[in-house]
Amino acid sequence: MSGTSPVLEVVDLVKHFEAGRRLTGGRGLVHAVDDVSFELRRGEILGLVGESGSGKSTVANCVLRLVEPTSGTIRLNGTDITHLSRRKMRPLRRELHMVFQDPYSSLNPRMTVGDIVGEPVRLHRIAKGRALDARVEQILDDVGLRAELRYRYPHELSGGQRQRVGLARSLILGPSVLIADEPVSALDVSVQASILNLLRDLQSTMGFSCLFITHDLATVEYLCDRVAVMYLGQLVEVSPRAELFRNAQHPYTQALLSAAVVPDPAVQRARRQVVLEGDIPSPLAPPSGCRFHTRCPLHDLSAPQSEEEVPELAEFSPGHLVACHLVKPGRPSPRLVEDAADIVSAKTA
Amino acid sequence: MAQPVLDVTDLSVRFDTDDGDVHAVDRMSFTLDAGEVLGIVGESGCGKSVTCMALVRLLPETARIDGAALFEGRDLLAMPPRELRRVRGRSISFVFQEPMTSLNPVFTVGHQIEEVLARHLRLSRGKARERALELLELVRIPAPARRLDEYPHQLSGGMRQRVVIAMALACDPKVLVADEPTTALDVTIQAGILDLMRDIRERLGTSIILITHNLGVVADIADRVLVMYAGRKAEEAPVADLFSHPQHPYTIGLLGAVPRPYEGDEARRRLQEIPGRVPSLRELPRACAFADRCSRADELSRTEIPELREVRPAHSVACFHPGPGAV
Amino acid sequence: MSAVDTVTLTSPRARRRRLLRKRFLRRPMAVAGLVVVLAFVVTAIFAPLLAPYSAGATDFNALLAHPSAKHLLGTDSLGRDVLSRIIWGARASMQAGFFSTVLAILVAVPIGMIGGYYRGWVDTVVARVTDVLLAFPFLILAVGFAAIFGASLLNATLALGIGAVPGLIRIARGETLALREEDYIPAAIANGAGDATIIFKHILPNMTSTLIVQATVTIPTAIVGEAVLSFLGLGVQPPTPSWGTMLQDAQSYLSTAPRLAIFPGLAIVLAALAFNVLGDGLRDILDPRTTR
Repeated sequence: MSGTSPVLEVVDLVKHFEAGRRLTGGRGLVHAVDDVSFELRRGEILGLVGESGSGKSTVANCVLRLVEPTSGTIRLNGTDITHLSRRKMRPLRRELHMVFQDPYSSLNPRMTVGDIVGEPVRLHRIAKGRALDARVEQILDDVGLRAELRYRYPHELSGGQRQRVGLARSLILGPSVLIADEPVSALDVSVQASILNLLRDLQSTMGFSCLFITHDLATVEYLCDRVAVMYLGQLVEVSPRAELFRNAQHPYTQALLSAAVVPDPAVQRARRQVVLEGDIPSPLAPPSGCRFHTRCPLHDLSAPQSEEEVPELAEFSPGHLVACHLVKPGRPSPRLVEDAADIVSAKTA
Repeated sequence: MAQPVLDVTDLSVRFDTDDGDVHAVDRMSFTLDAGEVLGIVGESGCGKSVTCMALVRLLPETARIDGAALFEGRDLLAMPPRELRRVRGRSISFVFQEPMTSLNPVFTVGHQIEEVLARHLRLSRGKARERALELLELVRIPAPARRLDEYPHQLSGGMRQRVVIAMALACDPKVLVADEPTTALDVTIQAGILDLMRDIRERLGTSIILITHNLGVVADIADRVLVMYAGRKAEEAPVADLFSHPQHPYTIGLLGAVPRPYEGDEARRRLQEIPGRVPSLRELPRACAFADRCSRADELSRTEIPELREVRPAHSVACFHPGPGAV
Repeated sequence: MSAVDTVTLTSPRARRRRLLRKRFLRRPMAVAGLVVVLAFVVTAIFAPLLAPYSAGATDFNALLAHPSAKHLLGTDSLGRDVLSRIIWGARASMQAGFFSTVLAILVAVPIGMIGGYYRGWVDTVVARVTDVLLAFPFLILAVGFAAIFGASLLNATLALGIGAVPGLIRIARGETLALREEDYIPAAIANGAGDATIIFKHILPNMTSTLIVQATVTIPTAIVGEAVLSFLGLGVQPPTPSWGTMLQDAQSYLSTAPRLAIFPGLAIVLAALAFNVLGDGLRDILDPRTTR
């Protein structure tokens, strides 16, 4: 399943936005992404998890070159695409595409479904006329839409159908990388299920790698092979899926796991919950050192180092990386509650 | 048995549009007891928000409301507007989904809370400010004294939602209706708000109606749950029984469609999909509204409307083929 | 059965046109506006057939005559039939109205779109250009053109067109700014679309409703503008009829024959009002949020 060379490599990615002018003069700098490095392997689904301000969507936009990275390197199938010109980037866009969160604004209301889905094929001059139609019909069938919907306009379709159209558009050229930015968050529960199932099926038949961006851990557990957790522009933990849910190391990850509600009252009410104090700090003024230290329940144990030094994303166990001063292989792990299982469920307690 | 705080009988809401009527709610009946948290669950268009807004007539002009809603013995739907205005915000208050649009951006937080107090309780400026401070402490906002003079845009989403809750609690209401209060908030912030609501219920004894599409939230704080589909009540049960023994195929479908975290390999089992789409609300089907999508549908469900029946203790369902576990 | 499940034989474009027609017919004011607008347009085009007399025909036996069977709206100081002159005058007004607006759109929309799409220094240039243009009200431009090129309907039309450009630049720029935030724009970029494709295929078509509405309310301004310019002698030159020149002629007779000013004045008001009302109605029905 995992090939030797990664299909997407992101190295030391940094993106700072200039915020509006402040009345006191001088501009603010939004530290959207700071030194993020990860790789996406062939055929895998990597979940990128974070809350507002984590920078996960910005990472996606940088990879797609929708915004220019401030610094860092992005490699697609070995090719450095970080600073490629528009023209040079075009042919490579066949390999890389994205599904968006909002089913309403991601489709041009003035184009029919057939036009929308066929646009990549037309723009890359791969097929025309009858051949183009055939490809459009095929991909519509693959995503579970009837062929006659080609003649419809987006506003005539439901949210779920629109997301399917978005998927069809991104997959029609058979890219090697699909970035899915919260593709189901705006949909109803029952519709979410069908889109998630569809994504899983398509990924196994078409074999593309997927960077799945979300804030919902339950979806991550359902879909992803590996998980990367971001907080305020930085990666705090990267781990294979089962390991993350069983043995999360970073206090933020543990808090996140604790905060996710479980649709089962017996379990949910028996859990010991960790409620973080305060708000997520603004990316305009991220805390010094470990950005999580202002909300970390274990702050006393890690001070003063956590206030001054940025923790490195270091290997805790094979494949499991953590950025925390309290986490060292061989040392007892930081725990927000006595029993790790309590964060997740009371079943094993 | 203490009298329920809210007793709604056969509430129906119809919208008068030019393309015909839209039947948003069809004969909803439910009760709300003192100090309980009632969760109303359903997907978009099921009528859950419309039901609650109809109670205090927060709906547009084109809405036609039928039925009765007894609040402390008086029918809200028959009340003259002046009396209703005294109920709104004071005895029954609302918290909506989007904290940014619930607060007026040009007034300070303190001013907005004090406005509620002045209107309903006629408190003097000094007393109002004191009470506003108390309320901000009640909702556990850090540095409350400073917040009073801040504007909404200076607060984060979670903080704003707490302010909105503070405003809703200003006059010590009997009923707090929270319409998707955490949907727009981050996961870790959501946990805090749910915790706060639990606290409010315990300390103040406020009854809470929690409208949501999120089954996890319901599992967290609801006492009883009401599942709505296409404007009708599909199922009603104590929360534990709803999750352990769902009766209506729609409820079973919903529970199967939600990814369940932390169940190891179980978490990866294929999600259940509900085929088909929600029926149009332009015509009230003279049959079970879910029949088109239901694997258990038969002649009976396609020709008659199922009425609510109690099939387990305190657990009723509107279905001809409930179960498993029906008595 | 939901709309999507039934197989329809009509194309989606035809369906949308039907829907718009239905909505339009529900608005009597807009319908009235359209009828009056069409009436003026038809009058302008078929003036030779509709006018009882030719534009310059004088009748010295009936100077300043009151309305009668022979001259339905009376005659002016030279014996010319007022009704015919109003009909002929519609030509100048409609020409000025339509052509100046078309000119303004052709100039303003590309400029506004480029500024709104590229932002940065390009946008700054566009903003300054707009500011400069705003500093020249159409009146001053018309005086300038008249001084350099001589007064004529064409020059008046040009002046009116240029006068309308800054407002349209602002609108085009605003729409572009809003539309480029829609997710289908990055989707198009991910498809490999270049800037030209995005601007012309994705942004412009989504602006057409706004532009149509804006055009419909720019035209009445131009109509009134033409009347003003002709009144001042900067537009249509006598003896060619124009509602503005008719007003100019009527000045000397305001106390004795106010009808000479009232009739052309009414024509101006009616034409402008009809376009405005039509524009309002169009704005309403084209808004995607409208439910009826």
